[in-house]
Amino acid sequence: MTQMIEILLSGITQGAVYCLIAIGLSLVYGASRILNFAHGSLYTLGGYIAWFLVVGYLDLPLWLGILVAIPVLAASGLVIERVIIRPLRSSPNWKVNTIMVTLGLAFIIENGLQLVFGPGTKTIPAFAEGVVTLGGITLSWYKIWIFAISLSLVGALEFFLTHTRYGQAVRAVSQDMQGASQVGINVNQVFALTFALSVVLTGIAGILLAPVFLISPLGGWGPFLKAFVIVVLGGLGSTKGAFVAAFILGVLEAYIIFFLGSNWAMPAWLVMLIVVLMIRPKGLFGVWES
Amino acid sequence: MKTSRQDDPTQLISSVFTGRGLLRDSVIYWIVVAGLALLGALIGDNYIRHVFILVFIWCIVIASWDLILGYAGIFNYAQLVFFAVGAYSSAMLSIYAGFTPLLSIACAAIFGGAVGALIAIPSLRLKGEYVALFTFAVHLALPPVIQQGKAIGMGGHTGLLGVPWLNLFGYQVSTIDKLTWFWVSLAFGAVCVYVIYFVVLRGRMGLAFVAMRDAGTFAQSIGVNENKYKFLAFVVSAVFTAIAGGIYAHYTTVVTPKILGTEFFLMAMVMIAVGGMGRFPGAILGVFVVVIGNELLRSFDDYRLLLLGVAVVVLVIFFPNGLAGLTRRRRADGDRA
Repeated sequence: MTQMIEILLSGITQGAVYCLIAIGLSLVYGASRILNFAHGSLYTLGGYIAWFLVVGYLDLPLWLGILVAIPVLAASGLVIERVIIRPLRSSPNWKVNTIMVTLGLAFIIENGLQLVFGPGTKTIPAFAEGVVTLGGITLSWYKIWIFAISLSLVGALEFFLTHTRYGQAVRAVSQDMQGASQVGINVNQVFALTFALSVVLTGIAGILLAPVFLISPLGGWGPFLKAFVIVVLGGLGSTKGAFVAAFILGVLEAYIIFFLGSNWAMPAWLVMLIVVLMIRPKGLFGVWES
Repeated sequence: MKTSRQDDPTQLISSVFTGRGLLRDSVIYWIVVAGLALLGALIGDNYIRHVFILVFIWCIVIASWDLILGYAGIFNYAQLVFFAVGAYSSAMLSIYAGFTPLLSIACAAIFGGAVGALIAIPSLRLKGEYVALFTFAVHLALPPVIQQGKAIGMGGHTGLLGVPWLNLFGYQVSTIDKLTWFWVSLAFGAVCVYVIYFVVLRGRMGLAFVAMRDAGTFAQSIGVNENKYKFLAFVVSAVFTAIAGGIYAHYTTVVTPKILGTEFFLMAMVMIAVGGMGRFPGAILGVFVVVIGNELLRSFDDYRLLLLGVAVVVLVIFFPNGLAGLTRRRRADGDRA
């Protein structure tokens, strides 16, 4: 019984980090209707930037590493949006073109990282050691920390979206791009902002999960697929949906790994995806685009 | 001239897709194919023949992808899954069941069609980029599945070795016999590409695809059964791609999960980006340019994949319609002049 609860808790902590990745994906889709296939490699990029700053070259403490990584990630997000995504908006078949371009970008990042850092895996030591035992249930401090950090970031994002002018602009653009633009919202600025935010969120997730999953150039596709299943279950474009779905699927994954072994984790995510798409293709909180 | 074409929409459609010009275009097509066949005999170098064999196999894959992505407008990114299914099933049937390769390739086509149908069923319920993500997820999830398939003889990470040579009515075609392979792959490639572009896409099915892609609601209102044609797009595309996979398996005699790796996927993307979607012969030209270009880039091996990625991004941004777009732009300029 305690083991079952331990698995449940570990699933919840994992779900919180998945939530971070998925919300970024959903946010960009919600605002700009762009599905960013490079989201997973940007997650990897976050891990590598932190590794470079903390372990590989500059021996910074982790908190400082994260503080330095955030503006770097945000800047890469802005550059990507400005240089390779915005020019496509005017083309007639921009949907398939953005899919192509972001997939191409994913391969550029992945192979670039492989060239610079080599194909091997890297790791960042966990910043919190030890475990906490409570009524027979053990949980590592590290997992508690990443749970807390992820949740507070998601909370901060939610606050930003509901209580600040920029956040409201983002929501306005998500609801009605044309209308938002007519009332004077700079739509391009909102696209850039959401893209930068999503890169920062997924990059931080990459840093937080580095001690658990290790960093490797091709390691981003797993988290990307998971984030996508979460976003689909929650409904594309819905941050609330992504939040709920992340925990449901995180816990499910933890039990599947426990009962069937970690080799089945990825096939299981695919099965979950198919089941979700068959039963409720628009997700828990999603609405179809007309 | 131009106005009269615009006034009469039926004429516009018939001039592009159906009977008109079909005979002339077919003759041109087969003359080019015959020229290529002759070229194979003239080239003495086996390495160059090898490059062309790869081109012909890729032509089938890209033509099938163009059919579903470019013509039918379905964001299918599971194309290499069909290729892998074809390669694995043909290899396994000939290794374990002792089928002669031509028969196993035919069976692989059936398997491919079945997998295409399986992927189509959930996709029919989805829209736009949901399809892209679902199909790409299938692509991503397949390598672990192949790993698990070790138990049923899929060879796991090392793949399947010693796939039998092609047996042409008693004549064993070894991998080293590049000249015969050149003609065999050209024959397969030419027939498949012809069927795809000239029979399927110029027929009712192709008309329905384009109608769905360009005006989905309108197409439905005039009686195009969207589900039926989307399903057919998946199945047809999968059947041909699986044939290509089968040929590839017997040519290289090795099948590994590398088929689903970054390199193959990137190659396919660059081909379609270079050639342009939905405009014959754009995608086919893309295959020639990319396979030959990729071989020329061999000396930059470390940077090759990076360069391919950059190529996709740059091409899509600056030439959203690929090579086909260039000719069309020139033609449009000519019309205006």
